[in-house]
Amino acid sequence: MIATQHRPLAEDLRLDFPILGQEVNGKPLVYLDNAATSQKPLAVLDALQNYYRRDNSNVHRGVHTLSARATDAYEGARDKVAAFINAASRQEIVFTRNATEAINLVAYAWGQANLKTGDEIILSVMEHHSNLIPWQLLAQRTGAVLKFVELTDTQEFDLDHYRSLISEKTKLVSVVHVSNTLGCINPVEEIVAIAHAHGARVLVDACQSAPHMPLNVQAMDCDWLVASGHKMCGPTGIGFLYGKLDLLRAMPPFLGGGEMIADVFFDHATYADLPHKFEAGTPAIAEAIALGAAVDYLNGIGMDKIHAYEEELTAYLFQRLAEIPELKIYGPQPKADGSGRASLAAFTAGEVHPHDLSTILDQAGVAIRAGHHCTQPLHRLLNAQSTARASLYFYNTRAEIDTFIASLKEAIAFFGGLFG
Amino acid sequence: MALENLRTLYQQVILEHYKKPRHRGKTDPVDRHQRGHNPSCGDTIDLTVKLNASGDRIEDVKFEGEGCAIAMASADLMADAMRGKSLTEALEMVQSFQNMMKGQAEFPRELRKLNVMQGVAQFPVRIKCATLTWHTLKAAIEQSSEPSAGFISNEASPEGVL
Repeated sequence: MIATQHRPLAEDLRLDFPILGQEVNGKPLVYLDNAATSQKPLAVLDALQNYYRRDNSNVHRGVHTLSARATDAYEGARDKVAAFINAASRQEIVFTRNATEAINLVAYAWGQANLKTGDEIILSVMEHHSNLIPWQLLAQRTGAVLKFVELTDTQEFDLDHYRSLISEKTKLVSVVHVSNTLGCINPVEEIVAIAHAHGARVLVDACQSAPHMPLNVQAMDCDWLVASGHKMCGPTGIGFLYGKLDLLRAMPPFLGGGEMIADVFFDHATYADLPHKFEAGTPAIAEAIALGAAVDYLNGIGMDKIHAYEEELTAYLFQRLAEIPELKIYGPQPKADGSGRASLAAFTAGEVHPHDLSTILDQAGVAIRAGHHCTQPLHRLLNAQSTARASLYFYNTRAEIDTFIASLKEAIAFFGGLFG
Repeated sequence: MALENLRTLYQQVILEHYKKPRHRGKTDPVDRHQRGHNPSCGDTIDLTVKLNASGDRIEDVKFEGEGCAIAMASADLMADAMRGKSLTEALEMVQSFQNMMKGQAEFPRELRKLNVMQGVAQFPVRIKCATLTWHTLKAAIEQSSEPSAGFISNEASPEGVL
């Protein structure tokens, strides 16, 4: 057993999430689908509401008071995000719709201008479709070639294989920081150092790390980093791209329109300075401000504390999962203290199909994900058509893990008689 | 756990067809072949159909593929029910199944075994599991005799479920 001396983090924080107080199918909701999207605290809901009640106005346009307030709040959110990942400059943060759009931005704006036939892009086999398809499309347009880093025996990023793939032909390495399926935490600092030694740029997909651990883009030295707001207590429709200043400066615009211009003539235009060059059109103002509120909320708890508490949850989750012999869990085992992997588990349960498991758990109020989690090539490689996945956040408790495990056992028993 | 709800969905007959399907495999010969899938969840079905000499009546249906209990049992039950049916009757049955998933109708006495799938209608997110095989069969019947290489998506259909 893991000793928990202090009052668990989640106990006080759960009250900040009204959605968690409900019953589903007559049972208290146990929300374990956080890798898909997190729930939102009152502070974020209030930020959305207050913006529309008091400050709603377009940004960077008006001279009037409301427009000034909206602009201040929107740009204030940018400052918060920049500080959250320790960016050197606020100009290095571009608001996007989500991480997917941020990756597409880089693939179009940088990729199109910098890649040619025979250049190589290194990805890993565990990439989310959002960090795969944009590069497939870019490869089709430019003639660049995709290479894939494989997995080690423990189903982690194979650094040796990565070293064998990289060469002077490599122009870009784009990798996920924390896998949404395997839960492994990839050695991004080392990946970046190796890439830079070969003159390649690196994009880090931080969707599953930004919500759960402190990030420092300067220490990481990555060239770009992307994340989605909705997985880190923020609303949907807002994410961000971090890029090194000189790199973003050199990149041509992505989308054209208002907001991203300096001077416009009928036949040409000059573009706004960073970050506005990449923010064409009226942005998701309320969502950006609410993402700022989410960052404040997370900082208020402390990303170190969140990470430490989630490691405790991970240790307990895996300890309990080990009681069920039918399970096959993907990705590395956590260390005894719960470190070494994300607080999520993708698994299969013998002959009980993940969809059936998910339906049965839903009847017990337990929300898990079933499917391929947008990592279809990885599932094919793992020889699993689909998996079930429980993914935790700081508001989850040991008691919820107990409910999940009990329901999982019941579900297996429900089907088990059949296969016994 | 709301066991009654689950028993409605996972009737014993469904579980038996999932566990011991009678129609897994490939017909001989293969007169029609169609693959179908639900892209968002990854379920796939690979249907083959054997027709009579005049090509207007189903002699055999077999399936391969991967999916949940609902998808696989639905395929096995469908294959059972389709034997000896004319292509017109088969298409009518596809329509009837769709109606049943909307909670609007059930099959007549001679096809009552299919009514075990009625419980799925109460689980809207699972309807596409049950309809995958029926949607795929419809495409197999409506195609020319040229076997289709690609997948037909059960999720892209205009009706949403079938």
